[in-house]
Amino acid sequence: MSTDPGKLAESAALGLEGAAKLPTPAHHDEVVDKSRTLRGDAWRRLRKNKLAVAGLVWIVIIILIAVTAGLWVPRVLGDPTFIDTAKVATQSLNPPSHAHPFGTDTLGRDIASRVIYGARISLLVGVLAVAIMVVIGLIAGALAAYYGGWWDAVIMRTADIFFAFPWVLFAIILIAVLGKGFQNVFIAIGVLGWPSIARVFRSSILSVKQNEYVDAARSMGASTRRILFRHITPNSVSPIIVVATMSVGGAILTEAALSFLGMGVVPPTPSWGGMLSEARSYLFSAPWLMLYPGIAILTTVLAFVLLGDGLRDALDVKMKD
Amino acid sequence: MPPLLEVADLHMHFFTPDGVVKAVDGVSFSLEPGMTLAIVGESGSGKSVTALSIMRLVPEPPGKVVSGDIRFKGQSILALSAKEQRKLRGNRIAMIFQDPMTSLNPVYRVGKQIAEPLRIHKGASRKEAWDAAVELLTRVGIPRAAERARDYPHEFSGGMRQRVMIAMSLACGPDVLIADEPTTALDVTIQAQILELMQEIQARTESAIIMITHDLGVVADMADNVLVMYAGKPAEFGKASDVFYNPLHPYTWGLLHSNPRHDVEEKGKLVPIKGAPPSLIHLPEGCSFHPRCAYAREICRVVPPPLVDIADGHLSACHFSHEPEFLANAEYCFAGGR
Amino acid sequence: MATPLLEVKDLTKHFYVGNGLLLSKLGKTVKAVERVSFTLQEGETLGLVGESGCGKSTTGRCINRLLEASSGDITFQGVNVLKLKTRALKQYRREVSFIFQDPYASLNPRMTFGEIMTEPLVIHGIGTRKERQERAKEMLKIVGLQPEHIHRYPHEFSGGQRQRVGIARSLMLRPKMIICDEPVSALDVSIQAQIINLLEELQEEFKLTYLFIAHDLAVVRHICDRVAVMYLGKIVEIGGWREVYNSPHHPYTQSLLSAVPVPDPGKQKQRSRIILQGDVPSPIDPPSGCRFHTRCPIAQPVCSREEPPLKSVGPGHQAACHFAASCPIPEDLSKVPCATDEEAFMGGAPHRP
Repeated sequence: MSTDPGKLAESAALGLEGAAKLPTPAHHDEVVDKSRTLRGDAWRRLRKNKLAVAGLVWIVIIILIAVTAGLWVPRVLGDPTFIDTAKVATQSLNPPSHAHPFGTDTLGRDIASRVIYGARISLLVGVLAVAIMVVIGLIAGALAAYYGGWWDAVIMRTADIFFAFPWVLFAIILIAVLGKGFQNVFIAIGVLGWPSIARVFRSSILSVKQNEYVDAARSMGASTRRILFRHITPNSVSPIIVVATMSVGGAILTEAALSFLGMGVVPPTPSWGGMLSEARSYLFSAPWLMLYPGIAILTTVLAFVLLGDGLRDALDVKMKD
Repeated sequence: MPPLLEVADLHMHFFTPDGVVKAVDGVSFSLEPGMTLAIVGESGSGKSVTALSIMRLVPEPPGKVVSGDIRFKGQSILALSAKEQRKLRGNRIAMIFQDPMTSLNPVYRVGKQIAEPLRIHKGASRKEAWDAAVELLTRVGIPRAAERARDYPHEFSGGMRQRVMIAMSLACGPDVLIADEPTTALDVTIQAQILELMQEIQARTESAIIMITHDLGVVADMADNVLVMYAGKPAEFGKASDVFYNPLHPYTWGLLHSNPRHDVEEKGKLVPIKGAPPSLIHLPEGCSFHPRCAYAREICRVVPPPLVDIADGHLSACHFSHEPEFLANAEYCFAGGR
Repeated sequence: MATPLLEVKDLTKHFYVGNGLLLSKLGKTVKAVERVSFTLQEGETLGLVGESGCGKSTTGRCINRLLEASSGDITFQGVNVLKLKTRALKQYRREVSFIFQDPYASLNPRMTFGEIMTEPLVIHGIGTRKERQERAKEMLKIVGLQPEHIHRYPHEFSGGQRQRVGIARSLMLRPKMIICDEPVSALDVSIQAQIINLLEELQEEFKLTYLFIAHDLAVVRHICDRVAVMYLGKIVEIGGWREVYNSPHHPYTQSLLSAVPVPDPGKQKQRSRIILQGDVPSPIDPPSGCRFHTRCPIAQPVCSREEPPLKSVGPGHQAACHFAASCPIPEDLSKVPCATDEEAFMGGAPHRP
């Protein structure tokens, strides 16, 4: 029903004077509030969620550092890949110090700089993988939802099969086939991750389709194309934003896992997972080898998850309107 | 002898991030056994919150009883501990909710849900409670009760589910039955059945009923007394015959005359109340109804009118109710004349 | 008598409720609308009234091809509506528009009022952008809102205001006929009267014909010239409002009318109500013969065998009952005792008084 106490006072509906001819509207107590867009509302709600904001801030920080890394890291911290063979003996496995805030690794490289460069890899893989996932997932979900019937059954059962397989195993197989390397990593992750996007998009479309404004558009003669692009899609997309955000975290985690297993990015390119792998034998003797990449993975993935969660709450409530 | 249920100047406010919502702002009434009070209002009027407050079902925070009291048989409910309140709820004061689809738990059999209050409050054994539940189902007119008690809510239609809700609320033989729009979600022929059932039960058990509704027809059918609420505040209170035949508040008049009837000889012209119910966060100054009132004058914009006894128990919250022939020309005024 | 604007003949709509697993067309059929016929003259308002599940909404949606009828004929201005293909169908949609029930769901939350209202014009390629905006602003004024609101979003407004926009939208193409599907049911009581008045004024101003679908008998009586009462997919009574309301001939119509409480305590408490037993039977398996016989207070054996056709019971007034002539229901039958007869209650065998 109408008045939700949580809303601002709406402008009073104008009364009609009960005459037989057309009414001249009388203006009563028009409280004209600031125009509130749905996006503005969602943003406000998101801002109130401290955890989500923390996540967002952290992500922005990491992006900034990663993007600008080329400019300052090699100078300040040391080259992430260059091995100075002369200094290896003295430089390697040094605990954190003023010159090397995160310490050095087995080959004398500065860990901090490797972590930062690793961030670039992780973020890139995350974003590119999700981009692929989203493209495939949107198309699959849309086809399944729109055509229904046979298309729906085939696409969704395929998605189910993908879900049933252990992701990492599939990824390993795919990489074994495609070969290692940065490119194949995000392709593999992207190609394997589409089902979650497809599922969410499909159910979102199905639920949006039920709304009367879709019927209204048909009633006025809108073409199927118009209904799809103007009415259904814009309203179905919000859940995708949430899933995509959280999937970035997932993709980063998967990349780390793959690299840890040696199936991901090839050394000497620094990668958090790879660094963890190197740290295996030095867990107790040189814990900083594992600590910093580990914290990096943890905080970054957590940030994306928290942001995704916050987005879900911020966008969901709006949909209740 | 204190009244069975008494609500004394209840103020229940919600403290939200957007502001304070004065959901119930100064409501008073009392109830005696066998009596039916109808609380009428539109959305945002506070009628449901009043009922939930009596049942102490309002989440606090964000709700809070800012002032006033609710007394059951002379004893303040608000002063009771949570445990003691629970003893009353479902036992001496029971509630029937609006939407029978969502007010029954879909994963439990219907018999079990009816038996639950008996087990909680009367300490009945599982068998005793189940048997009583079956009997209650028969009493509310569900055939083959013994079989049906084993069914789940989704196996019942809307009207039957509402009967189940009624059975549940009757389980412990409550003194007060609060029905929150019990028939709004039902078809009109089913509504007639349910109202008939409620009246029958009331005749048998002498329980008091608080009927919350926006449908004036239902009020006319069921109510002894009527409380009209607007924007959280009482607008008018009195015997049903007084309120219907001699409304003192312009809002009541507006409600009575703005909707078509199917029983009058000729079709009249509808005289709507202009405007819309206000947002409870940004209530108008003075009388909350003044922006929509055909009689609004300066004082109405500034001073909130007190609820005053105009004629022997017939109360109205309007500055001009006491004037004789106040609403005599209401049709003309509401239609825009002066 | 002039040719009717709309002629519906034997309209039938069945929904197949398969079990989804393998696109099976086996499974049950919901016989939502069964051989419904009526006509609508230009300028009049016909009400379709009935309780939930009676098929009134489905009928409305078949008429504007939101749903595809299973069989029957729908003729609008002499043209067979059911056979229309894309371009002609689009043209038909200019002439017949639709007002929806839910003011919250019938407006796209991501479009401004302006976009919502100009959409029909955009779809049909009418006017320049500026002209469309002007028309939208004008229409907003006509329905009682401020023209500036074309830049605002639906969620900033109340249900009543949103419904006004829905109504405005339906007028943008200057249709001949509007199908109103429960246009006031979702609104607050004090707002309903405003919208009803608005619809009446618009009808006069724009020379509209309304098919008014609702469950509220009083509202239907007020706004309609003629009324058709539906039950379980069939029209059981149809006639002018005076005839149907003042001398209902079908027992269902009588029960319906007696069940609606009147806001007059003295009168209401005196009225004898016809309390129907049980619930509406399922449209998947409707009763044999007369669909109402399982709940009918005056059912006889013939009622379960033969379906009564719509028979004339007065000028322009028809009812589908074998015993329509012997109404109104005698007093001693007007209150049916509470059921212990399970079958009757559950909608099975006919109930004998």
